[in-house]
Amino acid sequence: MKGAPSTAPSAAAQLNARRAPSRRAFWLIPALLLPLPLWLDPYQQYVANLVLMYVPVGIGFNVVVGNLGLLAFSNVAFFGIGAYTSGVLMLKLGLPWWATIVPAGMMGGLAGCLASVPALRGVRLFYLAIMTLAFGELMRWVYIRWEPVTGGSMGMAVPAPSLLGWSLDSESHKFYAFLALVIVVIIATDRLLRSRFGRAFLAIKSNEEAAAAMGIPTDRYIVLGFAWGGFVVGIGGAMYAALVGHLTPTSFDLTELILQFAIIMLGGLGSLTGSVLGTIIVTALPELFRDLPGFEELAFGVMIVLVILFLPRGLASLLARAHPIFRDRYYRE
Amino acid sequence: MTPLLEIQDLTVRFGGLTAVDRVSFRVDAGEICALIGPNGAGKTTLFNAITGNAPMESGRVLFQGAEIQHLPAHDIAARGARRTFQNGGLFGHLTALENVLAGLHIEVKSSFLGLLFAGGAAKAEAAATKKARELLRLMELETIEDHPASELSGGQQRMVEIVRALATDPPLLLLDEPAVGLAPQMRERLGQIIRGLASERRIGVLLIEHAIELVMSISDRVIVLNYGRKVADGTPAEVRADKNVLEAYLGHA
Amino acid sequence: MLSLLPQLLVSGVATGMLYALIALSMTVAYRATTIVNFGHGDMVMIGAYASYVLTVTLGLPFAFAFVLAIALLFILGWVTQRGLMQPIIAGPHLSLAMMALAIGYALRGAARLEWGNGVLSLPRPYPQAAFMVGSVVFTADDLVISGFVLVLLAALFLVFHVTPIGKVIQAVFQTQRGAALVGINVRAFHAGMWGAGAALGAVGGVLLALIVPLSPDIGVWTLVRGFAAMTLGGFGSLPGAVLGGLLLGIMEKLLGFYVSTVFIDITAYLVTILVLLIRPKGLFGQHATLRL
Repeated sequence: MKGAPSTAPSAAAQLNARRAPSRRAFWLIPALLLPLPLWLDPYQQYVANLVLMYVPVGIGFNVVVGNLGLLAFSNVAFFGIGAYTSGVLMLKLGLPWWATIVPAGMMGGLAGCLASVPALRGVRLFYLAIMTLAFGELMRWVYIRWEPVTGGSMGMAVPAPSLLGWSLDSESHKFYAFLALVIVVIIATDRLLRSRFGRAFLAIKSNEEAAAAMGIPTDRYIVLGFAWGGFVVGIGGAMYAALVGHLTPTSFDLTELILQFAIIMLGGLGSLTGSVLGTIIVTALPELFRDLPGFEELAFGVMIVLVILFLPRGLASLLARAHPIFRDRYYRE
Repeated sequence: MTPLLEIQDLTVRFGGLTAVDRVSFRVDAGEICALIGPNGAGKTTLFNAITGNAPMESGRVLFQGAEIQHLPAHDIAARGARRTFQNGGLFGHLTALENVLAGLHIEVKSSFLGLLFAGGAAKAEAAATKKARELLRLMELETIEDHPASELSGGQQRMVEIVRALATDPPLLLLDEPAVGLAPQMRERLGQIIRGLASERRIGVLLIEHAIELVMSISDRVIVLNYGRKVADGTPAEVRADKNVLEAYLGHA
Repeated sequence: MLSLLPQLLVSGVATGMLYALIALSMTVAYRATTIVNFGHGDMVMIGAYASYVLTVTLGLPFAFAFVLAIALLFILGWVTQRGLMQPIIAGPHLSLAMMALAIGYALRGAARLEWGNGVLSLPRPYPQAAFMVGSVVFTADDLVISGFVLVLLAALFLVFHVTPIGKVIQAVFQTQRGAALVGINVRAFHAGMWGAGAALGAVGGVLLALIVPLSPDIGVWTLVRGFAAMTLGGFGSLPGAVLGGLLLGIMEKLLGFYVSTVFIDITAYLVTILVLLIRPKGLFGQHATLRL
């Protein structure tokens, strides 16, 4: 590792040295969002719900790729597994939507454990990317072929979601349910990332050998990271089922992967704030260009190229430069 | 007295090459033992085999009397054998303070489930942070604690890496070329620190070094490796006079 | 059932030739720069579309369009490596992988934007005939593609082992630093090799476009098969890429017929996963993977 002569503290160091204000201020955001449904029309509300739905998806992806540093493209597999688990439990077993959320997450988590196997064997980077991508494609093939359960290529219609008896038949009702879920996911992931586990993830990302030399059980934590990522994305999948009401295998293809990949690349790898930021941009933008097929891919491809060249730590780094409250610090004062 | 570390007939092979050939020696608590030899003699490979970072073909490694050769690296580290790396083992994505905290990993008492449900790991984290800060302050590194590790100078990186390795008060410290790239005053300071660790804290130190003056001035014993084999094992004075050692170095000239 | 074996082998080899070419093109770029171009499949796709535009839209004669398409892709490969990969070459491997991926996506989006999601077909410049030898059918497609790839392989072999530029390539493949020391411009070499890889890929793309409907998504399809072939043959090995491609083609046909048609789609994925888990070196792999 090269060392720069340290005459003056770098921008990053200076920023780190400023005392970060308490993160309690972040509670302002959901508080301000509460009256949102009063001002949005149903379509706009749907878009807002779409953004909320993608937040856990981006967060889960970022934990594996950004924090653990493993280029695993299995995210869409977790997403689809979560969605279909929720759908199947609702349709075939008659469970209400809210009861399928945790099972969907669990199945996602299980898929995460499975996807971690090549990483445990030392498979990295391009190999790992292709293998996990193959996993995602294989799952899509399962959705298509396992007709009695998943409805095949025609997909499955999912019963209307409800939360403990309260029917979520309007977009604004869904908004509150989703908001609650997202808050829980963000808090839980934040705790994880700012704990010794989160620090260990970054250690593994930086130098796996040295991490082991510090007593960090790297294998176990890799599985943990993948399981958490899968769990959280699986929950996003359940939200997706509630949001769109109809699941088809095409929703979980490679185009979907690029969308999710763009979220974390633009937002900032390894940053929770980045996952949220990236989600907002990536989800809102296509709604402006819905009628141009291919535009999304082109725009996101170009944006990612630009970000890699000029803003490698993503948009979250811009926010962090603006105010210390957005900076990721992996210890408590 | 049980030696802190004992290596018995340790052999490491890569493909057809024997990198370490039936090496045996011991390190006692409070002893500074230097491992020297020409480039490619197998020193770092030996380190890696001891710490579990590389597989060994045969031999035994006993740490505090217990066999550890079959244990994974993180287990060995958890038992108290800590090391630094030759080519910068700091975690570039973390700050200096966070690096030391990572070194304290096994001491931070927080479980995964406890994390999610019991209000986070605030107490354990705060305690560890305090300790880490104190450790850095002792080494006069507190001004850089928030600097990203990748932005530190070479000398600072070495020091932080040593602090990190010492964070859990390990009984055994393995240092791989800690003085590389350090200015002469820094080297002296490093030597003093290592001597202090051994005499005051009774830490056993095994160090790989090319800076012969440093080695000779602080070591209690010197082990010389050449082509993977142990060629000499004795006090600095004995080794300096040993003909085999001279040959080993001259033979490589 | 077994009577169909020769037929299956023949079509398997024909498809396999195409895979071999793709895998070879990817290996060329990989060997030189030790970075895998995740966007390679999409470059192949662009090559196919380029030939479509040149022949159908612009009405150029096929042979001319073919050569032009290859030249264009060479330039694309060169420029991509020089302009987008080279600046970040010293950075984390993750960024390089993502950059290549993003480039591929951008190319795919552009293709989709321009030509939509519908499929196009490239008219064959040769008659669509078929020949029977015993009970085995050889289609003109099989013969043209296999023949072309064989000729190309032979030409590449000659270039590699006989010509001076081939010597340069071998030198850099063996030791970059040594090559730089003797005055070889390694940067230009890297860019050139990516260009060559893209150009070879374009050949594959055009051949592919002759037999398969053209859509923006064939890039991923191609990438996965190319990668599966490289994995099977041994990552980084040129003969391995060819052999891997042939084996993959044959396996797809055999498994697809004798076991289940599902294997036509998923053999490539299974091969990738299984080989990497069981014998990561593949058949001929000897190169330590340096950078991905």
